[in-house]
Amino acid sequence: MFKLFKIEWLKIKTYRTFWILFLGFLVFFPIAFYLSAYKFMESMANSKSIEENIIKSLLDAPYVFPRVWITASWMGGLFFIIMGMLFILLITNEVQYRTHRQNIIDGWSRMDFLKAKFSVLIFFVAVSTLLVFIIGLVVGEVFSTNKSNIFEGIHYVGYFALMAMLYLMLAFLVAILVKRTGLSIIIYFSLVCIVDNVLWLIFTLKDSQIGYFMPLEVVDSLVPNPFKPKIMEKRTVADYTLVMATVAYILAYVSIIITYFRKTDLKT
Amino acid sequence: MAILRLDNLTKKYGSIKALDKVSFEVPAQTVFGILGPNGSGKTTLLGIVMDILKVTEGTYQWAGNRTTDELRKTIGTLLETPNFYHYLSGEDNLKIAAKIKGRGEGDIEKVLQTVNLYERRKSKFNTYSLGMKQRLAIASTLLGNPDVLVFDEPTNGLDPAGIAEIRELIKALHGQGKTIIMASHILDEVEKVCTHVAIIQKGILKTVGTVAEVLNVSTTGNIASVCIEICAADNSQLKNIVQTLAGVLTVVEMGNCLELNCEVNISPDTINQFCFDKGIVLNKLVVKRKSLETRFLEITGNQSDR
Repeated sequence: MFKLFKIEWLKIKTYRTFWILFLGFLVFFPIAFYLSAYKFMESMANSKSIEENIIKSLLDAPYVFPRVWITASWMGGLFFIIMGMLFILLITNEVQYRTHRQNIIDGWSRMDFLKAKFSVLIFFVAVSTLLVFIIGLVVGEVFSTNKSNIFEGIHYVGYFALMAMLYLMLAFLVAILVKRTGLSIIIYFSLVCIVDNVLWLIFTLKDSQIGYFMPLEVVDSLVPNPFKPKIMEKRTVADYTLVMATVAYILAYVSIIITYFRKTDLKT
Repeated sequence: MAILRLDNLTKKYGSIKALDKVSFEVPAQTVFGILGPNGSGKTTLLGIVMDILKVTEGTYQWAGNRTTDELRKTIGTLLETPNFYHYLSGEDNLKIAAKIKGRGEGDIEKVLQTVNLYERRKSKFNTYSLGMKQRLAIASTLLGNPDVLVFDEPTNGLDPAGIAEIRELIKALHGQGKTIIMASHILDEVEKVCTHVAIIQKGILKTVGTVAEVLNVSTTGNIASVCIEICAADNSQLKNIVQTLAGVLTVVEMGNCLELNCEVNISPDTINQFCFDKGIVLNKLVVKRKSLETRFLEITGNQSDR
């Protein structure tokens, strides 16, 4: 797998679009997170009225330990959508330039091609998870007054990794099936931003819990919006169940990708 | 021994049969031409044996006991168009190909020099001209010095000098004992470099064999005649004498020469010696072999497909 990744790295290391999007994520997410924390803590410090203090207690301090882990994971998830787009681009480029055919002609098996792309996926997940961890730690250290138990709630970083994995798997599936760059990105964004949310809305009406099992919501629900007061949370499904459902989705996407790609004609 | 064996290869796209029960063998150390009009299924055939297209029916078998994936690493292939990463230099593109093939980067310099691209190795692929892209693709096939090479329209996009160079390269590779499978719609190209040829039309194999066999076997499958043109000072005397030679089927006066229709086993030496023994000195003797073009048109009909 590492050998395949080294070849993938040769492909992308001088690809400008890769660096723009990748560094965009690596730079803008930490800056945005730190600035939002700074502004938030500043406004909190200035709040004097009772109402503001009530809101403050409802919000439950999103930028201090232990809640900072939720906030870092949640905001990382927002920015991570860029990585999904980048991942689509890296796959559809191959189809467009027919280099996926050339890779096979040169001696990769079809599984090698998929494994190589999967190694990039793991790389993206690992790097962004590490970033979420570091930025959560830094912001927590800077703004927390009580640092007795900083790693409480660290499992949210794990949920982030799971979320990153599922989002990229979906991007992988869309790119392999759709092949065209523009169309793949449009479909990916509409799934992420519209379809999944609409499905969630429909299926959470009347307090149904089915909505939490929608393809992306399943993992989004694991990291709740930290700015949404807890009392508005209606989810009763256990985290553990959602984790299992997410893994099931990932496995389903993997099996569709493998089944399709192994028997399809590689055309543009 | 066959390098590649096709058995009833069939490929359907919906109701269209791109290949229809194609079977033949590519003997080792030959230059095997796959000839056919545009859209006849040449690239489909090569795509299948390279595992980028999936066969509908039938099987293919490369020589050797390794898996087809491992085997492809030892075959240099140029399929249809040069496929490279546009934003990478020629050299970096070859590094990727070499890595996939599991080779070192040692022979990249050599193959770039072979195709005269060494000076431009650091330039990005998308700055290359069509001919340079084609030459980079050929360089890529030479990585690791493979024993089997597959070329699909290798001279596509090259200028006359480039075409001549590639033909010389193919001949040289053949001279080193390599097997070359080459698809082309250019008859001249096949006739000049190939030892064997398969003619495909609309996915159906029309004929296969050595170039000499294909040229001499008539469409009905019978051995065709050879046409020999001779001249002497006295053609009428020559006509009377040469008619008596066994193997000469017909003699026709054509302008100031005679056109002999002979059995295939008659050689020009026989005719020359025979006439000389009878006291006639020939001042012209030409074996008018049928050109591949004539044969090709006989076999495929002279209308272009689609």
